[in-house]
Amino acid sequence: MKEIRNLCWWAVFITAAIVIQAALPGVDVLAVGLLILLQERDYKNIFWLGPLFIFLQEGMGTRLFGGSVLLYVMTAVLFRLGQWWFEVKSFLFVVLLSTVLIGPYYALDWLMAPLQNMNFDMRGTLDKCLLQALFLPFAWRIFTLTRRWRKNNEAAE
Amino acid sequence: MTFRRILILAGILLILFLGMYTWNQRTRTLDELATDTGLELTGAVLAPLRAMQDSLRELWRRYFDLVNMREESERLKARLGELETRLEIYGELLAELERLRKLIDLPEDPVWKPLGARVLAGRMGPNAVLASIVINRGYMTGGRPNTPLVTNEGLVGRILRASAHTANVLLLTDPGSRVAVITQSSRAFGILTGKGPDKPLEVNFVRRDANIKQGDILITAGLDRKFPKGIPAARVKSVAPSDYTQFLAIEAEPLVASRYLEEVILLEPTGIARLSEEPDDSPAEFVGPLVPQKTMAP
Repeated sequence: MKEIRNLCWWAVFITAAIVIQAALPGVDVLAVGLLILLQERDYKNIFWLGPLFIFLQEGMGTRLFGGSVLLYVMTAVLFRLGQWWFEVKSFLFVVLLSTVLIGPYYALDWLMAPLQNMNFDMRGTLDKCLLQALFLPFAWRIFTLTRRWRKNNEAAE
Repeated sequence: MTFRRILILAGILLILFLGMYTWNQRTRTLDELATDTGLELTGAVLAPLRAMQDSLRELWRRYFDLVNMREESERLKARLGELETRLEIYGELLAELERLRKLIDLPEDPVWKPLGARVLAGRMGPNAVLASIVINRGYMTGGRPNTPLVTNEGLVGRILRASAHTANVLLLTDPGSRVAVITQSSRAFGILTGKGPDKPLEVNFVRRDANIKQGDILITAGLDRKFPKGIPAARVKSVAPSDYTQFLAIEAEPLVASRYLEEVILLEPTGIARLSEEPDDSPAEFVGPLVPQKTMAP
């Protein structure tokens, strides 16, 4: 039962992520899911949800395959580094991580543009990265709250 | 783990990534897989939600329609009378057009089949760096890559990549978009290029002696063989001699406001060969109402 509930939560999360990404162009909501998986050390689900997130992002994107792989690996590496010094489940850590992630998000666009013969819009990319940095902590907060309700319900049972 | 081991591991991962990246760039295997899974799933999630949104909007609209029905009915009756008169006039004009078409022997155009599609979303996710939209047609439902998209106002763009039932469309405004165009009045040739969302389009390679004025309509030339000939694409905004090249510096605005797009029409190539014998490099088709098929002379 617990497993099914968990699966349902992830199905709802992915649906919500797709809808939010359709409403807010350029924002990465699936990164919130990755962050939750890393915080919960849910390596069993990372095994299938990680590739699913990557294929979703690459599928709905317009770049050649590879950008999301680098981005999510960088997120995981920065998370692991942060684990040595910070309490990773705190809101402040997520704010810090999302701020640091501006670098990889910007660098990825900058590196991929000449590789794929595309124009690099410096201002647009910076705006997108800042929006992502502002969005991530609050989205994480909301999604973790719904996750907590699920866990509380399970504990009550 | 020592620092040296971390460096070696990072190096191996980087080499593996670059290997995967270059292999995919050559074969496009992973791109196709991501499109078939990721884009398809995105479409499967968004399509029912859009349908639900449409139903709710329709319900709301119908409520207001009921409230204003009597007033609207009176107005419509008057309008109907007016339109009936117009229809009679247009009927005559249509018959005249058909006669003129036959007279000047314009080529028939069974080559393109119009298909309606719903816009599901704009750019989605951090990887959507091109000016694009997502539509609810894929390669199984008439939306193959490079299929042109239009609205009643003009050209929208072409399909960039497609999964079975969903596709990504490259808009005219993207800097990677190039369309061969001619001006409707003076028939001067140029290449219409995007400069990014919310920026004017650029028309390159137009000769300095071309007679182009502000407000001229640019239509597709069909020379690139990606878009049918004759679709209105943009309106000239400014014309001036270029400071750097031997051509004119022309700015244009797209006729279709892509931000407010809800429905589009795909021009699906039917695969039917044209009746008239044309060499392969000749200017492409004329898009217009179909005329009755001619029989080939034996």
